[in-house]
Amino acid sequence: MSRMFRSPWLEVNIMLVVLIISFAGMYLVGRGLETPPGGMSGTAIFAWLLGFFLLSFGIALVAVIGGIGGGVLFTPFMLAFTSVDSLIVRATGLIVAMFSGLVSTGPFMRGGLANLRICVFCAAAYGIGAFSGAQGAIFVAQNLGEAGEGFVRLALGLILLSLAIYFIVGGKKIEWPEVKHVDKFTKWLKMSQPYYEVSVKRVIDYPLTRAGWVLIAIIGVGLLSGFFGLGAGWAIVPAQNVIMAVPLKVAAANSGVLLGMGDCIGVWPYLLMGAIIPVFAAPWLVGQVLGGLLGALILIKVKAGFVRYLLIGFMFFACFGLLTKGLKLLGVMGEVPMWLNGLVFLTICIIVTVLIVRYIKAEARLGGE
Amino acid sequence: MSAGTRPIMQLSQRVYGEIVYWGTILAAIICMIGPFISMKNPDKNVMNPFYLFAAIFEGKDTATIWQEVAGGFPGGHFYLDKFFYGDGFTQFGLAMGCSVAAWALIPAAFIYLFKEKNPTYTILCLWVTLLIILSMVGIVSSH
Repeated sequence: MSRMFRSPWLEVNIMLVVLIISFAGMYLVGRGLETPPGGMSGTAIFAWLLGFFLLSFGIALVAVIGGIGGGVLFTPFMLAFTSVDSLIVRATGLIVAMFSGLVSTGPFMRGGLANLRICVFCAAAYGIGAFSGAQGAIFVAQNLGEAGEGFVRLALGLILLSLAIYFIVGGKKIEWPEVKHVDKFTKWLKMSQPYYEVSVKRVIDYPLTRAGWVLIAIIGVGLLSGFFGLGAGWAIVPAQNVIMAVPLKVAAANSGVLLGMGDCIGVWPYLLMGAIIPVFAAPWLVGQVLGGLLGALILIKVKAGFVRYLLIGFMFFACFGLLTKGLKLLGVMGEVPMWLNGLVFLTICIIVTVLIVRYIKAEARLGGE
Repeated sequence: MSAGTRPIMQLSQRVYGEIVYWGTILAAIICMIGPFISMKNPDKNVMNPFYLFAAIFEGKDTATIWQEVAGGFPGGHFYLDKFFYGDGFTQFGLAMGCSVAAWALIPAAFIYLFKEKNPTYTILCLWVTLLIILSMVGIVSSH
């Protein structure tokens, strides 16, 4: 039997067929629809839906190659460069983050790279944080009006700035953390689970420690994720790795599973108050699932470290947009002129290009040695 | 088990992974079909699709959008009454995907209890499931 008819290609192919039929149908139906006065034409609705899907699909593919979560790209971009209400953006951002995590859950669980015990343990705390964060976001949106919108963009801009710097510096991460002392609580939880490490072709067992402390950190991470509608893999991975001594690869796999599980708690306050608008959110969801699966199947072996520079450049530009928009909404400054936006964009493009050229040269040198 | 033999993953872990994976794919397929139904029958929608995107891109808040395009927000579980509506069906797909972890954690909890004899994780699985269900039904809410 051809591999195209076996999992995971089978489900990918089924989804592709349904998607193509659905979009072809929408296009044909949209062309024949009569536009009501003041309404949008059927073709324009089709174009928006297709555009959202393609953008989400692209974000998912780039996220797989660059190792940066989709939510971190979606939410700042939408908040910085569109006028869509921040609550709708953050709610849809949570959908983007959680579905890229959910679709990666199956393969990670099957292969044993992720550890369900660690994930459930952390989700017990993460869920409380994410739920409280979502409630806080709704409170701010309902009570603080335009100032709240400004505050959210400003705060997200600052987070994104520190995140971009963190991605450049690399942070303190250890591939195989050394554990000198296992505390009683962690020992009692029996969380470690051996897995087969492909790179060294042997089974790895890993002791863990400080499980109690990780709970506090994870509640904070959940709060951030729920409030800003960001995936929080960038915080979950170091929290597990540095505090609990989870090996880096396992921590990264766990973070996807944990986001999918924990955001099932954080997303419902948004759904129950109407911040997730079904026809708007659906193409984003589909793009993440299909892009995440295809990306993992086709692109995971593509060595394209330079994509990371592109993403970091994008984060700096989104950060500029968020900070200026936030300050404008708070009445601190006026509209940023087009030429200044262009100048910032051009400067970032030049820096990113220089970094990519240097990276490619360094790779070529290493390959030649 | 030698260092070179791949360990077999625990049943609880495999069951959780499979349910979440297939549930997510089903939710995605529903969300592919839903918008088509919306456009095929524009009158069979809670939110009028002709006015929806304009309202979103004008930067209106959620309450205003629902009021203008649907005559008010019918509640997060409106798909129960409007299952065959375009946006009702899409909302069902979203709700299914957003609760898939709960449906996967319940069998995992029972496997931890009866097969793997590890009640600590049964309690943790049920705790997370409870949080999802409480969040779903909207019992715990600050507003």
